[in-house]
Amino acid sequence: MLLIDLTVNGLIIGLFYALMAIGLSLIFGILRIVNFAHGEFYMIGAYAYTLIALFFGISPWLTLPCAFIAGMALGWATERLLMRPLYSGYASWGVMKDEYAVIITFALSLLLINLVDKVIGPNGYRGPSLVATTRVEIGPFMASGHRLMAAGIALLVLIAVGLFVRYSYWGRQIQAVAQNRLGASLAGIDTAKASAIVFALSGGLAALAGALLSPIINATPDVGAFPAVKSYVIVVLGGMGSIPGAAVASLILGVLESFGAVYISYGYRDTFGLVILILVLLFRPHGLFGERSREV
Amino acid sequence: MSRKTVKSSHRIGLLALAAGVFAFAHAAIAADPIKIGVTVAQSPPGSVIQGTQVLDALQVAQKIINDAGGVLGRPIELVVEDTQGLPEKARAAVEKLITRDKVVAITGEHQSSNVLAGMEVAHHYHIPYMNVNGWADAIRAKGYIEEFNPGNYSTRTAVAMADTMKRLGAKRVVALAENTDYGIGAAKSLGEQLKISAPEIKFSYETLDRTAKDFSPVILSLKANPPDAIVEMMLPPAAYLALNQLYEQGVAPTAKTWLYDGSGLADYPDFWQNVQEAAKDMIVFGLYHPKMTMPPLGRQVAAAYTAKTKNEPNRLLAQSADSLFLLAEAIKAAKSTDADAMIKALEAIKWEGTRGVVTFSTEAGYKYHQWIDIPYITFQITAVKQPIADTRLVQDPGQPLDVSKLEKPAK
Repeated sequence: MLLIDLTVNGLIIGLFYALMAIGLSLIFGILRIVNFAHGEFYMIGAYAYTLIALFFGISPWLTLPCAFIAGMALGWATERLLMRPLYSGYASWGVMKDEYAVIITFALSLLLINLVDKVIGPNGYRGPSLVATTRVEIGPFMASGHRLMAAGIALLVLIAVGLFVRYSYWGRQIQAVAQNRLGASLAGIDTAKASAIVFALSGGLAALAGALLSPIINATPDVGAFPAVKSYVIVVLGGMGSIPGAAVASLILGVLESFGAVYISYGYRDTFGLVILILVLLFRPHGLFGERSREV
Repeated sequence: MSRKTVKSSHRIGLLALAAGVFAFAHAAIAADPIKIGVTVAQSPPGSVIQGTQVLDALQVAQKIINDAGGVLGRPIELVVEDTQGLPEKARAAVEKLITRDKVVAITGEHQSSNVLAGMEVAHHYHIPYMNVNGWADAIRAKGYIEEFNPGNYSTRTAVAMADTMKRLGAKRVVALAENTDYGIGAAKSLGEQLKISAPEIKFSYETLDRTAKDFSPVILSLKANPPDAIVEMMLPPAAYLALNQLYEQGVAPTAKTWLYDGSGLADYPDFWQNVQEAAKDMIVFGLYHPKMTMPPLGRQVAAAYTAKTKNEPNRLLAQSADSLFLLAEAIKAAKSTDADAMIKALEAIKWEGTRGVVTFSTEAGYKYHQWIDIPYITFQITAVKQPIADTRLVQDPGQPLDVSKLEKPAK
């Protein structure tokens, strides 16, 4: 009974982790940029969903796309205003590129946290549930209706993102940019547009995760710290830039944390992921599903 | 006019000017404010809600004192520092208030870890330190002569909780405690009190990270082996998440398991925004209830607070206001702002505040400089989004818990 509960709960948490991490994986894998503001994309989604639904009385089902759009807009604006100097005519920056990305996204993260704290306030807001049923009982298993619905949506979104990147016109262009930015550019691909799409998609997915989880993890200015840390562990564990890798790593981490917290110690729950992260970096630096070299 | 007369009139003029300057300076000195340092959380990760409640309450008390002519003819001035709820910031804030702002006393702190950090500095400089809401017994056990406690303390809560668990007929009790001085201290205190007053009750506690978001593994373990009562010893926002997850997993409150809030969550302004069905049938340890009997000063402060903030009064209001009133009373009794004189006055004080007559014990241990008989109540939330005034009061101050008034969920 406890084993079933822990497994199902771990898988559900894993799906949420996957939704949080997939955007970060896309940015890192394709643009080679470390985005420290990823958690704040999540936070903006949580607030957009919660506040629009609460203050305008709109159905949560209609607010969910609003949160996704808000995240996409933020991601797109971040790429256009802050990231573009990295690859448009600033080649002389040389080794400063990585430092620039780290500093600018870290600054953006702090700006957004403090802005939300001052404008909206520090009080937490619980997002409205997508389904009215507070408790669903399936045999011995029990969970909130919203948690199950959110897990289902997360699964569908993950499949859709995987299909988009693999088979769609823009998905293939994104893959080309990931393999060789200059080569893709010479082949006629609009690399700037591809980068903007990646950032917008990443922002949208993180915001969608924030929105879906806001009835479970209340929206607060610093709510993004938790998904950001988990996402980094997952991206490295799954293989940087690998979408299936991130998904599998998320599920592994979710189940591992669930069991470890009960059978080892709850106090070390967050440590399990970090221990695995260190081991992966030591013995399999390209991650579980990452490729040794993706450039052509 | 002769030259001599002119010289003499100049002298008179200079004397008059000097006398005027002296009189003005004297008046200015007489009206110099008495500076009281305030350390509160005004930004995350600290509890900004608590910090705001404390600061509003102190400003209400400050206005009442100043409108009545101040203390020794001088107004009270509050010098506020943000601690962000971090002990290292609290320590730095107290250092700055004492050394740079030259405050005569410190108050406002509402988190045990921060009190433990800040009081060390106050002790070093020998400045009176009024703890508003640090519950940890360890604060009193330090035995610092500068530190006074007109607020609640862990042992008081533990005694109340142990008595409640016994009267509920619980055989096994589990506490969910946050990983702070407050949470762990409160859980240990409850364990000790249960050993004394109800040794037949099996007690254990789980320490939960206050920054964590998902407590499912611990909750699922409880689901597999449900106790008779779960005692919540966490602060928001983690406490809200834990309550919701307990409810969603069908662990508490249920027909089998009581849910008891030992942290006074129900009077937080964002409580119902974050917790809905999960709080119905929850039993709450409280330090304030509108149906409580209060002295006239309590009613005056409550009315002024509602007029200022448009919020309902809460437990922090009384504790915070009393802390400033007590400092003012100590200065009045000591007739100076000298630290030794103020401390002596506080040790001898017997003064009716917002909740009753405050005295401070000088017995060593957790009772040191503590108002021992601080009043508490117990109430039960019987509906979702219920205002505190409509909750069911099941224990009046000084009375035993009336179990017959309690309701349990059908399932």
